[in-house]
Amino acid sequence: MWARLRNKLRFLFRRERFDRELSEEMDLHREMLELEQTRQGIAPEAAAVSARRQLGNTMLAREYSREVWIIAWLDTLAADVRYALRTIAGNRTFGALAILSLALGIGANTAIYSFMDSILLRSLPVPDPESLVVLNWHAKDTRRDFVMQGMSGTTYDDPKTGTAAGIFPFPAFELFRKDDTVFSSVFAHCQSWQVRRLNVTIRGQSDLAAGWNVSGDYFRGLGIPPAAGRLIIPDDDRAGAPAVAVVSHAFSQRRFGGAANAAGQSILIDNLPFTVVGVTPREFFGVDPAAAPDVYLPMHTNELLGAGHQFGFRPEDYLAPNYYWVQVMGRLRPGVSPARAEAALAPAFRQWVAGTAANDRERANLPELVVKEGAGGLDSLRRQYSQPLYVLMTLVGLILALTCANVANLLLARAAARRREIALRLSVGAGRLRIVRQLLTESVLLASLGGALGVLVAIWGMRFLTLLLANGRTSYTLHAELNWHVLGVAAALSLLTGILFGLAPAMHATRVDLMPALKEARAGQPTARHSSWRISMSHVLVVGQIAISLLMLVAAGLFVRTLSNLQSIELGFNRENVLLFQLDARKAGHRDPEIGAFYADLRKRFSAIPGVRSASLERDSLIQGEHGLPIGLSGSPPNPANRFLTVGPAFFTTMQIPILAGRDFEESDRPGSPAVAVINEVFAKANFGDRNPLGQHLTLREAGEGDRLARDMEIVGVSRNARYGGLTRAIPPVVYMPYDQGYPQPDQMVYALRTSGDPLRYVNSVREIARQADARVPVSEVRTQAADIDQTINQEIAFAELCSGFAILALVIAGVGLYGTVSYNVARRTGEIGIRMALGAQRGGVVRLVLREVLVLVAGGLAIGMAAALGTSKFVASFLYGMKANDPLTLTLALMTLLGTALVAGYAPARKASRIDPMIALRQE
Amino acid sequence: MRNRTSLSSELLPGTLEMLILKTLTRGPAHGYAVARHLERVSGDVLRVGESSLYPALQRLLVNDWVQAEWGESELKRRARIYRITPAGRKRLAQEAQGFERMTGAIAAVMAGV
Repeated sequence: MWARLRNKLRFLFRRERFDRELSEEMDLHREMLELEQTRQGIAPEAAAVSARRQLGNTMLAREYSREVWIIAWLDTLAADVRYALRTIAGNRTFGALAILSLALGIGANTAIYSFMDSILLRSLPVPDPESLVVLNWHAKDTRRDFVMQGMSGTTYDDPKTGTAAGIFPFPAFELFRKDDTVFSSVFAHCQSWQVRRLNVTIRGQSDLAAGWNVSGDYFRGLGIPPAAGRLIIPDDDRAGAPAVAVVSHAFSQRRFGGAANAAGQSILIDNLPFTVVGVTPREFFGVDPAAAPDVYLPMHTNELLGAGHQFGFRPEDYLAPNYYWVQVMGRLRPGVSPARAEAALAPAFRQWVAGTAANDRERANLPELVVKEGAGGLDSLRRQYSQPLYVLMTLVGLILALTCANVANLLLARAAARRREIALRLSVGAGRLRIVRQLLTESVLLASLGGALGVLVAIWGMRFLTLLLANGRTSYTLHAELNWHVLGVAAALSLLTGILFGLAPAMHATRVDLMPALKEARAGQPTARHSSWRISMSHVLVVGQIAISLLMLVAAGLFVRTLSNLQSIELGFNRENVLLFQLDARKAGHRDPEIGAFYADLRKRFSAIPGVRSASLERDSLIQGEHGLPIGLSGSPPNPANRFLTVGPAFFTTMQIPILAGRDFEESDRPGSPAVAVINEVFAKANFGDRNPLGQHLTLREAGEGDRLARDMEIVGVSRNARYGGLTRAIPPVVYMPYDQGYPQPDQMVYALRTSGDPLRYVNSVREIARQADARVPVSEVRTQAADIDQTINQEIAFAELCSGFAILALVIAGVGLYGTVSYNVARRTGEIGIRMALGAQRGGVVRLVLREVLVLVAGGLAIGMAAALGTSKFVASFLYGMKANDPLTLTLALMTLLGTALVAGYAPARKASRIDPMIALRQE
Repeated sequence: MRNRTSLSSELLPGTLEMLILKTLTRGPAHGYAVARHLERVSGDVLRVGESSLYPALQRLLVNDWVQAEWGESELKRRARIYRITPAGRKRLAQEAQGFERMTGAIAAVMAGV
């Protein structure tokens, strides 16, 4: 049995050789027979005739011989596939459109759903992830009177449901740790601001790395083994313990050349000596899917890293009951549910947190403990991306629907066009099943080709989405992979479309009454029952396509207008031709007051680069950073709305922010010289009204209990308003002050270089100068000012681009669908139109006749689409800027675009109809 | 002229294959030799044409009951030599048994009339 199949399959590849050898063999046979007969005395000619007669039909012998080897169904299938390919190739436009749109539909869906799966469903790569829980709290009110006086981390405010967060004071963590009835282990972790960017020096080479603080039983609680060395243990996490670090597998490969090389190495972190004790497993990325830390540090190393920093971590933070900063996870004991854990721990937490409240108003809005499932780690990624992904998912779902409708319509039209051919084949005895199978082969082939191409689209789409979600961050690593289940479902869906819409017309076509079908001229009279069925079916599909296209157009219009609104926001400074990059000399060991001189010297060197017109520095880029400290007019209390930014000389010149009165900062504004400040218009108007602010004094106080006077500054300039702390935020009152005139002392600095020509041309010079000044200070986050702003609207840019692409695709598909349907109807009515024209109908009248039909279809589609758009656009309201969800301009534009496209698509066949020659048309009847 | 039976059309299905296998138990042979042998042994009763011999050989090949390889014929020309395989011998034994049962049955019916 198996031998036979194997032999037959082998035969598939040796057909020609088989034929050649068989005829050689049979020729020899005949010659031997002739020879034999000649030997018996028969004349050669007679012998040949006799031999041929004896041998019988040679052709038949060959045919029979070949048949033995053929796998019947495979042979028919091959014939069907060849035939289908020929038919598809015969109508290239339709075929290409069907395959391409299927590929886009399948690919886009696979990409988006794969991401959904990675973000919303995937478990952490640790043993038994289901028993992990994440501790959170929830407070019903978002108002300011709250036990949380200070924090480091993220809280989520919602005016309807209140505040939620996953950060706790350290004493609360110790409280949870005491209870061992529900947890087998409780561990804490956080990413305090000072470990977010670590300057890691390995064998003299400095570079930045992302850090993460973990408590001593973090790795034991997660239950992962080291890839090399050992992981952090409880004894590492105490004050005075030797400074150790664990690095990620990727980091060990990047910086040490392998996990084994990393373990045991001495390194410098922010210029402090640390020992790398081990490496995490390759697949481990921490507990936050949105982050992939390079370096894990025991929590207590925060004391080391914070020492000497004005805003650094202080040891007393461990005891502070109102400072919220550690994130807590736990591993449940077997059989304990998150709900039971919550019930067990909540009362103790409630009692503890009540003791931290200072007054009745705080007591009225205490945080309540919430225990959430932790198999997927932290939900930061889910909070951030689930909404945009749902929107994208809906859009690509619509694209797939459009695609399927298009393929269905194409197959319906084709089946109708081939009615006569099929009838003919049935009449000469072709099996009905055979014909159905042949038609099905074609639709399945279309779907398969589309699916195969869809895989490529999916792979490309995943890359694009990673870029989109990474939002320009180079350190970003989301572990999304092509999800074969999703791909399978999408492919199955399109295959199903192919089969359903291929089968239905195939069944109808093969059930025809042969005689009328054969008598039909071309695609004759609309008398047959199936014909009207086909028309209504295809009309429904076209109306659906137009409705979906309108939805896509509206979405695209809304997102494009949002982007254009964002891009036309007046910045107040010139974003073109500015290079930005970041340095942190403090992390490399520079201290006050030398650090100020170091930054000032670098600024001078950068200004001297040929082609750099002006150079300055700022604590953060204008759009991405925002700082507040108690600052206000001398003699009056500080206003918490006031913001400040520490900057260097020539800041306003470099950013091209106009100075309305007074002057820019100069090199003479240095440590020791009188403290100065420049205020923006908003600050001037709010505090001085029409009075002249120049010469007035401002005071800056240190944050915290001390309220010590830090600076007393004279206002030397008023600048035009410039965006600060966000593109769409209202411009706050801002005080600009020199970075080196006292508290707050400089730590990191962003340099801004106004250049002639492309700013990125100067990157090499910048790196070289920085390396010469101090090789321990890495240059990081090099970008143009324009890119820095675009980064904040990355999602809007991507949405606008994606949706425009989708909308164009939808428009094309709908246009072609409409064109196909109208063309078919015109062809079907050739006779009728011919009669009308013979009876005196004008060409214009015929065009109108056809276009009226188009308009009816389009009006139906637009009505449905408009209703759907009005009903659903509110779901994207949070993605829009500068307009309402039901923006009338967008809706009108979408409507007009679609109407125009429909008329163009309908006009071609209408014109063709008007060119029908009555004589020819009537002769066909 | 004696009556001749054109094989395969009038014999029971599979009989020709059985006869070929039996012939090949005498030793490897090419197609013409097989046909000649069948004619000779049957006293010219069984005449095998190409249109039945070669398809039958293919059926034997596809089932791995015989093997074929190119060798030299008496005419110093390339000829395909067929050789029976162990699987072919097993098959022949089965077929022969079935055939005996069948002829026995037919004989019994004929004798009974």
